[in-house]
Amino acid sequence: MPVRESLLRLLALAALFAAAAAMLARGGIGGEQGAVAAARSALRGLSFDPVGDPEAVLEVDQPLAWAVERSRPGRAGVALARGETGAVRWRVRFPGGGEAVVAVGGQLLSVRRPVPAAPGPDVFPWHVQSSLQRLLPLIVDDPGRVTLFRSQSWREGGSLWLRGRFLGGSGELPVGWRREAEVELAGSTPMALRRFVHPLGTDSGVVAGRIAELRMLRRPAVLVIGIVLLGALLAGAEAVAFHQRVAFWRGVAVAGAVVALGEVGGLPRTETAAYAAVGGLAVALAPIWTALPPSRLRLGPPVGAVLWLIVAALPALITGVGGWMPESRPIPAAAAPALLLASAWLPALAEEPVLRGALPGLAGPVLGWWGGALLGAGIGAVLHPAPAVPLVASVAAELAMQAGLVRAARWGGVGAAVLARGTCEAMLWRHVYPEGAAFDRAALVGIAIGVVFLAWPRRRD
Amino acid sequence: MAAPARLSALAAGAVALAAVAATVAVPVAPVAWRAASPPGVAAARAEREAPSVGLGWGRLRGWEREGEGWRLVWQPAHGAWMVRAWVADGPAPIAWRLDAAPWLPGVRLSEHAARSLVGGTDGGAAREQSGRRDWAFADARLLGALPAGGRLPASERTPGPPWVVLLGGCLLAGALSRAVFPGAVSAPWRRVTVVAATFAVPALPFATALGARFFRVGVRPWIAELVGGAAAFVLLGAVAAAAVKFPAARGTPRGLAVLLAAAAGLLAGRLQPVPQLADVAGLNVRGVLWAALIVLCGWLAALGGEGLRELLRPVGPLRSTVLLVLSVAALLTAGPWLAAILGLVASAAGDRGDGPWVGTAVAWGWIVGGTLASCAWAAPLRDAVVLLLAGAAAVAVLLLRDARRTTAN
Repeated sequence: MPVRESLLRLLALAALFAAAAAMLARGGIGGEQGAVAAARSALRGLSFDPVGDPEAVLEVDQPLAWAVERSRPGRAGVALARGETGAVRWRVRFPGGGEAVVAVGGQLLSVRRPVPAAPGPDVFPWHVQSSLQRLLPLIVDDPGRVTLFRSQSWREGGSLWLRGRFLGGSGELPVGWRREAEVELAGSTPMALRRFVHPLGTDSGVVAGRIAELRMLRRPAVLVIGIVLLGALLAGAEAVAFHQRVAFWRGVAVAGAVVALGEVGGLPRTETAAYAAVGGLAVALAPIWTALPPSRLRLGPPVGAVLWLIVAALPALITGVGGWMPESRPIPAAAAPALLLASAWLPALAEEPVLRGALPGLAGPVLGWWGGALLGAGIGAVLHPAPAVPLVASVAAELAMQAGLVRAARWGGVGAAVLARGTCEAMLWRHVYPEGAAFDRAALVGIAIGVVFLAWPRRRD
Repeated sequence: MAAPARLSALAAGAVALAAVAATVAVPVAPVAWRAASPPGVAAARAEREAPSVGLGWGRLRGWEREGEGWRLVWQPAHGAWMVRAWVADGPAPIAWRLDAAPWLPGVRLSEHAARSLVGGTDGGAAREQSGRRDWAFADARLLGALPAGGRLPASERTPGPPWVVLLGGCLLAGALSRAVFPGAVSAPWRRVTVVAATFAVPALPFATALGARFFRVGVRPWIAELVGGAAAFVLLGAVAAAAVKFPAARGTPRGLAVLLAAAAGLLAGRLQPVPQLADVAGLNVRGVLWAALIVLCGWLAALGGEGLRELLRPVGPLRSTVLLVLSVAALLTAGPWLAAILGLVASAAGDRGDGPWVGTAVAWGWIVGGTLASCAWAAPLRDAVVLLLAGAAAVAVLLLRDARRTTAN
């Protein structure tokens, strides 16, 4: 028996290290340094030498990014979303003036320099078109394939300002997409360059439609959680009346942890409060439902790591059978390690006790533990799905993860499910945060917990 | 002994008759929004008379009573656009509105539709901007194109927070009371509530029209129908599970109490009919839904009534006075929640075992009275009269049984 146990422990440790290595190899969103260099170079191209260390902020147009991924399934779609479509980009601001937007892939999307004191003489009317076209190579790779669509001029600050708008075909973009570029001059000084794309209605429509549909599908699940909470509240009151044991302080601790995570991650306070109430109540009342298996926390992180390996492979699998699923989770607007921690562990702490604890406990007398747990998996599957084609694939992919969590709860109790969910979520979220050791550390918290649990000598009774 | 008993039965009968007479004879102002025709007729008129703007409207997805007309929703299977119309019962013009998602395939208007929206510009070249929704005509330009049509009439929703809070609080208190002091449980009632919820489930796919507000532009209608159905299924399941966990108490129905409760329900239905009853009346499966509503609302009223009874325990002999004051206040201010409050009060007024019978009687009266007051076309009126007769027969049987018992004693 000890040999088998040691072997299992070694296997679990191996799974943890393999998952961590795979996650680190896949990395996060890079290109910050390249973006700064590209921005500096572009501003110099506009005859402006930027000074100081710039501030780089990651920006994302998530529906556009997913629309691009949908138009080019697989890695090519991800590369395009992070490339010239500008769906995922760095905004670089220099303290001494000057701003540029650079795609994560390194392509310059826009640049604007400060207005100079002496912009130079105005451009003669018969030179307007050529002056605008002369700047095109700074912003588009194939200036010969774009044509001037509209130009306008106005006088401001003693100088004549010119703006030209150029139209291009789809180029390297999917068929039906359209590229545009804009060039701005003040006097004879180039002031700003910009390029952008118009997606095809079909691609963006499918994504936006799926997002709206999934948001609507979430409503019955929220209703179920509300009903479960009501049931838990009544069960709690009953427990107090009959002097049953409740884990009051454990519930308070979980609620406190949720609040702390929410505050550190900068999540909306109402969302944090709802999560804290849900998680705290479910954990406090957990001892009432005696059908729950006892917690074996060490099982959680390895299950989470294995789940991550499975879930991360699903988009390729779904694409392989003719469907589509985004490669990654939605990219957060303001990336920070604390937000990564909160995004991963807050749902784990709040949802798992409800879906794997309270719901099977309440539904147990009617559906049995497995019936209640599968109901919980179904509810969990529609809470946070990513859009996919067909829509069923969205729910099926989430259901795969939920089924794994049900298994973890059956083996190791709600505590193991919480650890598995947190570990898996943190690793899933890692890829949509920028590269950096701090983000890696935040994503590997679950793995570290798992290693400690597995390496810790087990107490013999 | 027999003569006084007979006298008491006669007195009970007289009171019951008086209650019925009062219920039927009380002059109630006719409901301004009483539906003259079913939603299908209104839909046919809208499809006939409203401009089509060159788009397929799709199937009629849902309806709801809004003021003196029907608000109807059409949506094609792809969900890219949605046509809503308000059709008055009278000859008033039809108000319509077309909303479309800006990005779904097929949302770009046809040239004919675009021309209609900009006022029918004749002749001249029309240019459709690629990948956009804009149309450029010789003398007009359609930017974005949508939404089109006018504003639809919308009435303000009646707020009822204090009454809703009272109802919710009483239900919670009732559930706690049942959990802590279970008492004698009525197994038949428990079975009936579960069966009622179960029988309502197969009717849900035929009742999707009630979820008119679930339909959204850009969301395929089957998703909206699924969400509405799932929400209803969840609620029915929760009520059934709660009926098992907090079952009705065992008790023998008393004919007089049931009759009075039914009369109160009828009066509440006539005084404050809710438009949703007209919506249900437009369905073919209204009978199944009515039956489920009567049983489940009856059980809920019993549960809430028990909670109210426990909450009023500290006031002791003043309970009747408080219940009377509550009834009068509800009559004056509760609006559409009147029947629910009366159900609560009626259940709280009697014994624990009376609750489900009395609550069911109020729900029955409310549905019959409300349907009679809010619909003017034959099918639901016929069904409501059948329900009225069935209920009256049941009450008569109870009264007769009570009279025989009294006589026997």
